[in-house]
Parts: sequence; C-alpha cells; structure tokens
Amino acid sequence: MSSLNDLAELVISGNYNGAKELTQRLIDNGTEPLEIINQGLMAGMNVVGVRFKAGDMFVPEVMMSAKAMSTGIELVKPLIADRDMPSAGTVLIGTVKGDLHDIGKKLVVMMMESAGFKVIDLGVDISPEAFVEAVKEHKPQAIGMSALLTTTMLSMRDTIEALEEEGLRDSVKIVIGGAPISQSFAEEIGADGYAPDAAAATDLCKKLIA
Amino acid sequence: MYERGIVMGVGSSHGNGLFFRTLTEKQAEEIHLASCQILEDTGMVIHHEEAVELLRKAGAHVENGNRVYFPSFLVKQALQSAPSRVTLYNRNGDAALHLEGSNVYFGTGSDTLNYLDPFTLERRSWRQEDVAKAIRICDKLPNIDFVMSMGLLSDVNPLMINREQYAIMVQNTEKPQVVIAEDGDTLKDIIEMASSVRGGNDRLRQKPLFMIYTEPTSPLQHPKESIEKLLIAAEYGVPSNFACGGVAGASVPTTVAGALVQANAEALSGLVIHQLKAPGAPFVYGYGNSPLDMRTMQAVYGTPEAVLFQGGAVDLAHYYQLPSWGYAGCSNSKVCDEQAIMESTMFTLMGALQGCNIMHDVFYMEFGITGSLELLVISNEVIGRTRRLLKGIDTDKESLGVESIMRVGPGGNFLGDDHTAKHFRQNWMPDLSDFNNYENWTENGSKTMVERARDRIKLILETHQPKPVSEEVKAQINEVLRKAKEKLGGS
Repeated sequence: MSSLNDLAELVISGNYNGAKELTQRLIDNGTEPLEIINQGLMAGMNVVGVRFKAGDMFVPEVMMSAKAMSTGIELVKPLIADRDMPSAGTVLIGTVKGDLHDIGKKLVVMMMESAGFKVIDLGVDISPEAFVEAVKEHKPQAIGMSALLTTTMLSMRDTIEALEEEGLRDSVKIVIGGAPISQSFAEEIGADGYAPDAAAATDLCKKLIA
Repeated sequence: MYERGIVMGVGSSHGNGLFFRTLTEKQAEEIHLASCQILEDTGMVIHHEEAVELLRKAGAHVENGNRVYFPSFLVKQALQSAPSRVTLYNRNGDAALHLEGSNVYFGTGSDTLNYLDPFTLERRSWRQEDVAKAIRICDKLPNIDFVMSMGLLSDVNPLMINREQYAIMVQNTEKPQVVIAEDGDTLKDIIEMASSVRGGNDRLRQKPLFMIYTEPTSPLQHPKESIEKLLIAAEYGVPSNFACGGVAGASVPTTVAGALVQANAEALSGLVIHQLKAPGAPFVYGYGNSPLDMRTMQAVYGTPEAVLFQGGAVDLAHYYQLPSWGYAGCSNSKVCDEQAIMESTMFTLMGALQGCNIMHDVFYMEFGITGSLELLVISNEVIGRTRRLLKGIDTDKESLGVESIMRVGPGGNFLGDDHTAKHFRQNWMPDLSDFNNYENWTENGSKTMVERARDRIKLILETHQPKPVSEEVKAQINEVLRKAKEKLGGS
C-alpha cells in the first residue's frame, strides 16, 4: 500500500525515472495493474491538478509529472484489456490547415492527458478532410482545434462545415482555442466552446462530455 | 582606492554584470578637490561648542567662535578611520543589511503629514493605529528591508512624537529601522528602547538595530541638535549619516555638479566631527537633492537631475569606500497614479543600478508630504523585478543549456524538457502584476494594479501578525515612554 503512495509521490515530484522503476517493481510483486494506475499514478496526478489550479505548481513541473505518469502507464497498459483502461473520454486534437504552430496545442494535449483523457494528437496543418477521416476512425467525444494566426483561424469554420456535410457534427463536441480566437468567434462559427488556456480547455471538455 | 573587486574598474557592479556609473574616477576626484576647497576656504558655521573644540584641537581654524575652516588633512584622516562597511541587524540579532560594495536595500520614509487611507481614500492625519498598520505591512513585504516612521503622529503629545514612533516601529516589525530624533534626549531614549530589545548597550553597539538620520542645514551650517545627535551616535556606536535634503537652486547650486560639491563638503564635515569624537564609529555617506521647480517653487523628488545627483553621490561613496545612503520609490504625485509609478519606479531602478546601499522614502507621495500604502505595495514588486535585473546573466555550462537545445531539436518544445522544469523558477515571477489572459483577468474582477494593491493591503492586515516583543521588553519600552512624558510634560 505504502509503495502506491510512494508512486504517487514520485509522480507529484516529476521523478519519471523513479516512477518507471517503482511501477515495474509493483508489477513484478503482483500488484493489480488497475490499482497501480488508480491509486498510484492517477492519484499522484490528481494532486498535481489541485496544486496547479492553486498556483503552487507550474506547467513545466506538471509536464514532468505527466511524463512520470505516462512512463508508468506504458508499462501497465499491456496488462489491461483496452475496455478496462480508465478514461475520461477520447479527444481528437490538431492545429488547423495552413498553421504550423504546435506548442500551445501540445500543452493542451498534456493537460488533457493528465486529466485522464485519451488524446489523439493529429499534429499541425490538419485539413478539414483529415479531421473528418480521423473522426470516422477514432470516434472521439470531442474535437479540439488550434490556430495562432488570424489567417488560419477561418479554417475552423471549414472543418465544422465538413463535419456537418458528413453528418458527423452531432457526434462530437467542438472546442477551439489559440491567440486570435474568442468566445464570439466560437459562437459565430458554431463551435461548442472556446477555451482561453490549456487548463480551461480541459475543464471545458470535461463539462461538455459529462 | 576606487576598486572593490570589480570588473574593469567599474564603480558599481552587481553579480554577473549589470552595472552603472555616473561619474568617471577623474570627475569624482574633481568634485572631491572642489569640496575640500570649500571646507578649507569657506568653512562651516557650527552651532555646537564641543564639536568646535574637537575641530580646533585637531587643527581646524576657527573664527568668530563658530566659523570653522577644515584643513584637508582632517578629511583624509576621517576617511581613513571610518569603516567601509556597516551592518544593521534585525530584532532577532541576525545580520540583515550589509551596507557595503554595491549591495542595495530599500525602506520607507519618515514623518509624512498625511495618510492616504487605502480603504476610505481620504487624505488625513496619521494616527498611531495607522502607523502600526503601515509598519505591519512593511514587516510582511519581502522587498522592504528596513522601516522609517512613515507618518507624523497627530494623536500623541507633540513633544513625544519620535519616541512614540520608535515604540510603534520596534513592536510591529522585526526589520531594522532608520530613525529621526527631535534632539539628543530623544535619541538617548530611542537607544534605551533598542537596548532593551537587544539586552544592553554593549550588545546594541555590537549589533546595531537602527541607524540615525541627522542632517546639516544647507548651505554650510550645522544646527546644535544635529551635531548633538551625531556625537551621541558616535559615542554609542549607532550608525549615522549626515545627509541634508538639498534643494538645488535654493540651498545648493542648481547644477548637479555644484550640488554635489556642496553636499559632499557638508557630508564630509559631518564625517570629520563624527570620527574625531569616536574614530572608527559607523558612518553612512550620502545626501539628498530635491531640485526647486521654478514654476511652482516646489522642492521636487526624483527629477532626472535628482537621480543623476544620487548617482554622483554614490560614486563618491565608492571613491571614499564608504557605505552610501539615498532615495528610491518616491513621487510628487498626489494620488497613486501613473506619475507616481513612473517617478518612483525610475528612481528605484536607477538607485539600484547605481549601487546605493540603503535607499529610503519608498511610499512617499506629494514631495514627501503624503504617504501611500498602495505605492509601497507596488514598489515592493518593482524592487523584486529590479533585484532580478541586478543578478545579470549566468553563463555557466548548465545555464548555457546546450544539451537541452540538442535534446529538443528543430520543431521541438522546451516546455516538456527537464532543463525547463529545473530552472524556470529561478526566473522572476510576478506577485501583483497581472499576466492573465483577458478572460481570466475579467473573471478575477478586471482589477487595476492599484486595486490589486489595495486588496493586498487588506489581506496582509487580516492575516499577518508580526512577532511581538516579549512582555518584559514591552514593559521596558513603556517605562522609557512614561519617564519621558513625565519629564517633558505637555498633553
């Protein structure tokens, strides 16, 4: 039991090497894989989430914790049937067509993953067609679209229209973000929500999917 | 004699490299020689018999009983015996202010007439509870290193003001103080209060808890009370300055250089008397200059010339290897507005770059007539930014980050790299400045900096209690006050 607490502490302190070692030891000792996730890795990450909200931890530290959690999860995952993997939902995310900006979107991915979402990151310069194909393939509950440029943000509207044409619009919630994006723009193009930062994007997806 | 382990002969240097110098060494020497000429040829009027006798015996020429002409060798002698470093200790006896080299420390000013009440926004006289609250706030603010009395008390016996202020200061903060005293007796009572905290005069001498601010009256006169305080300070080992607030164009010349020559002559004359009384006693060199604005006839704070003047004075302190005294964080504005922040911030940053060891008047408004706690709280943040600047740039292997750049590579992301997680907290982080996006800023109430400062004042007053002095010390302080009241009479 105490080693599960230790594992949580390693996640909180962002010690990914330590987290990896301890996860392996727990597996070798025959600890239930789901216990390792829920009472060790995720338990640590939940504390990180609270501290981040309170302003006691910052993004680079959360990134280290997320890395510690995911190195552990990678070891445990093969031992668990897919349907048993705890997940807050699946989110598909990408930077829209013509836009190569990656860092803000990656931050959102990291925050969502650490909140328990399964995130499929399509990358940058993703066309409306590519979004449509990915929705068909992964069947996500939500889509996140990112744009940093006023010239590329209009591609968000094209993507939403493409999803409508394919009859997929109602199967997903659409969340958008990026420096030039605003709540009024989200409303104008028919997105379900706008998030001004990565933490807000995570909260918004939780709210929309629940 | 200028160097203090400094890169390329630069007068004031900080950490890895930010430095600023106002005078060349040659200019410093020119001013020094001009000041010596004034001291020798024009001399000073000194309204204090013991001081005149000390000077006469040491070789000064005296005319008309109190006009004293200082030969240059007396200046040299005083500069040799005065220590190059002075340390002020906090109430717990820990070294708190190392006045040496280019270390910088910040504190409030004393005796403003009006308190800008942050809750009612009224401009009114200070009461004891206001000063106690203001000092409590200073106790909490990490970048305020020492306190002065802040407000002139309107609700105590007028003969007792400086004593009552000291009692409030020492009981509401552990930080060291710089004090004003009406006269020698007041200073002696303050010494007694500080001694009761320290556990005796000898211990107070060894670990000074406060410094006394005493001043000549420009041009070229030394009032009786000022010299009295200077001599008591020397005798008891209380660190002292001799720093008038000159008014360029009225009490000192209008040119920056002329103001420096006279200010330096007056400060050096104080040093000579001080060192004759007790060679090696701690002395802090400095002077102020509030140039006269010829349109309004106001003595104003923090004009470019006043800031330059301070740079010159600090360079002279470095030239003499004496700790330096100056100003920061003060303004002419009537409310805590853009002008207040502009003037106070510029002075704070420049004073720090100059390497002025101990800077006072943070929170002064309206030429020092009014004090603003909002300005105090905002200045705390300005000083934090400034202190980070002084640290300069580290270029050790770890800071160069070559391995990190290689790991991240083209198109990568430093947010997720170990190097970022390890080092980002070394960077300055805001406390009051708002770095939120618009949405989060509005969610927090769309508050301006001044409004956030007011919130902070409220929070500190609700949550922060300074460590009290012991009941025994409290009783001793009250006894000093009681005896003084008895002696002075009045209401």
